[in-house]
Amino acid sequence: MSSAGVVWMVARREIKTRMLTKANIISLSVMLAVIAIGTGVAAYFMNRDSEPPVTYLAVAESVTPLQGDLEAAAAEQDVTLELTTLTVEEAQTQLVGDGDLQLDAFLDGEPSAPRMLVASQPDMQLLALVTEAAQSWVLAEELGALGGDAAALEAAIAGAAPQVESVEEVDGDEGGGFYGPAYFVSLVVISLLLFALIGSGSLISVGVVEEKTSRVVEILLATIKPSQLLTGKILGIGVYGLFQVVLLGGAAGVSALVLDFGDVADLNIGIALVWLVIWFLIGYTIYALLFGGLAALVSRQEDIGSVTTPLMFLLFVPFYATLFLVPNTPDSTLVRVLSQVPFFSPFMMPTRDALGALAPWEMPLAISVSLLTIPALIWLAARIYQRGVLHTGGRMKLREALRS
Amino acid sequence: MSVLEIDHLNKTYTHLRALSDLTFDVRAGEIFGFVGSNGAGKTTAMRIMLGVLAADSGQVRWNGVELDLDARRRVGYMPEERGLYPKMKVGEQLVYLARLHGMSAAEATTAVDLWTDRLGVGARRGDPVEKLSLGNQQRVQLAAALVHDPDVLVLDEPFSGLDPVAVDVMSAVLRERAQAGVPVIFSSHQLDLVERLCDRVGIIRSGTMEALGTIDELRTTDRPQWLLDVHAEPDAVLALAEAVPGARARAVPGRPGTVVVELSDSHDSAEQQLLGRALALGSVREFSRVRPTLADRFRDVVSAEDSPAGSPADTRDEEAA
Repeated sequence: MSSAGVVWMVARREIKTRMLTKANIISLSVMLAVIAIGTGVAAYFMNRDSEPPVTYLAVAESVTPLQGDLEAAAAEQDVTLELTTLTVEEAQTQLVGDGDLQLDAFLDGEPSAPRMLVASQPDMQLLALVTEAAQSWVLAEELGALGGDAAALEAAIAGAAPQVESVEEVDGDEGGGFYGPAYFVSLVVISLLLFALIGSGSLISVGVVEEKTSRVVEILLATIKPSQLLTGKILGIGVYGLFQVVLLGGAAGVSALVLDFGDVADLNIGIALVWLVIWFLIGYTIYALLFGGLAALVSRQEDIGSVTTPLMFLLFVPFYATLFLVPNTPDSTLVRVLSQVPFFSPFMMPTRDALGALAPWEMPLAISVSLLTIPALIWLAARIYQRGVLHTGGRMKLREALRS
Repeated sequence: MSVLEIDHLNKTYTHLRALSDLTFDVRAGEIFGFVGSNGAGKTTAMRIMLGVLAADSGQVRWNGVELDLDARRRVGYMPEERGLYPKMKVGEQLVYLARLHGMSAAEATTAVDLWTDRLGVGARRGDPVEKLSLGNQQRVQLAAALVHDPDVLVLDEPFSGLDPVAVDVMSAVLRERAQAGVPVIFSSHQLDLVERLCDRVGIIRSGTMEALGTIDELRTTDRPQWLLDVHAEPDAVLALAEAVPGARARAVPGRPGTVVVELSDSHDSAEQQLLGRALALGSVREFSRVRPTLADRFRDVVSAEDSPAGSPADTRDEEAA
């Protein structure tokens, strides 16, 4: 039987026994139900609120020339304007609330200086809109009287906007920018990595100690290598974790589509996303190996904390280092060096990539370093594991486990 | 011929010499009983055979070739510290273990059905192991050692915790496997069982094989032993027996006036001398040739000056060794 076959068999047992427990099925169903119900409720409220308000404006015959400018001004200010033509008397009836129209205002008089008839207080936005329309009408009239081209003027005005340029330099990546969407997504992903590691780290530790306390490990080690057992376990728990993330994340994604959160889907991060996934997997592997190896040092579930707590702290170091160092100085020497260190790279590299702060050689180098670290870590973790796993009683010292 | 050779194994824990030059072999079709007091090194030796522990030096060979991981897949092992996944179902668990030993899914299922039925836990295949009684868990553990049709069986204390019926089932299975040509090695403290089942026995003390042979060989003493019961003062009986040239006598505890006398081979008719003197002292109630039981032999070997070097601070690993 091939080594990969053995690893996969171990992994499959992990997946199956975790996936098919009642507790897991129930908790997943509950979470899916919560997402589904939440989506439904949110959709109801959001659709209710998101109906754009309609402003009803009536004009007298004398003001009809202003219609075009009113519509243009409304479009510019994102106001949905419903225009009707009424007489003063009709408008008055409507405005006091006796009619079937929800009329907001009525205009009559001259287009250049219209009278605005309202129920009591004028809507400020509507007032501004009418003002703008009147002004632009007057401008066009005056320009026409002077023999100018009103259309050309409008085009010229539309084009008159300031162009913003920052003085500080931003490397490469035109879409990047310091706090662009890619950076935001990378922060979300390293936070996810952190939480995934905290979660699966304890799953792995508990699994290792469970095999130790139940002593089943002795039969297993008589048949397969410690490295195969450990790798299979980490793979299995990883796949199980990934399944949960994909299932719940997928549900959340569907929910986002239903709710029409267009912006999330619009994030155009393309290749950065691929790097994020790669670094996520590398980070998981590196830390999972540490959790698995060190958990073998203890024999009781109560003692797990003594090995996982230091590791949890260890996890926060690169996370916070990334959070505080990288956005300010994404290409300082310290950051460059740290991001080549395997325990830091999974947090730093994707973030720096999102900021566009990477020299072309950095990504391949960091990936190679991390990938080369993994077999070494497997060897080390399996060694600690093999020695620790038959040790019962108190916590075994790391030095003891490593000594040959 | 298939033979499992244990060749000069040495293993030292931090403060304890667990095995020193342990050497013996188990032949195909043979049931080998591995006995010794607690901490003598039985479990350590078995763990080394299975590659769970590494020896400092020495080798375990199967048919002349070092027993490596691939060959170990063909070994059935029952560790002293029983262990199965408590929450996993009996059937699933055994299939998983059989498959780790290289069986296909179909073969594994067939074998699991066969062995669980044979061992009387067929009805519990769908239950999690933790729901079974300890005795039944033990049967499942044995099934785990047998399910992949192993070429060698190494069982650490397979009989401990079994009821008499289960002991019979287990004994029958071991005999059957041995008849099928599988070398079977098991350790036990139940010496009567060992005496009944085993073709050969090894007695280990402080990591060294102190006595090795068939039951007959072990029970045969260099010097003939006689049991003598005289109706007289116990001290007088003892003195009388020691007076025979070359004889060594010891009182039998709880039986005043009864002694066991080891006579020297070199003195012909020493037993006649002994009997003559006894008759002169008082009426002789019993005079018979005795052969030591395996338990007697075991006590002799184990108590022949004792000094395991371990300190109390040692971990439980070493105590279990």
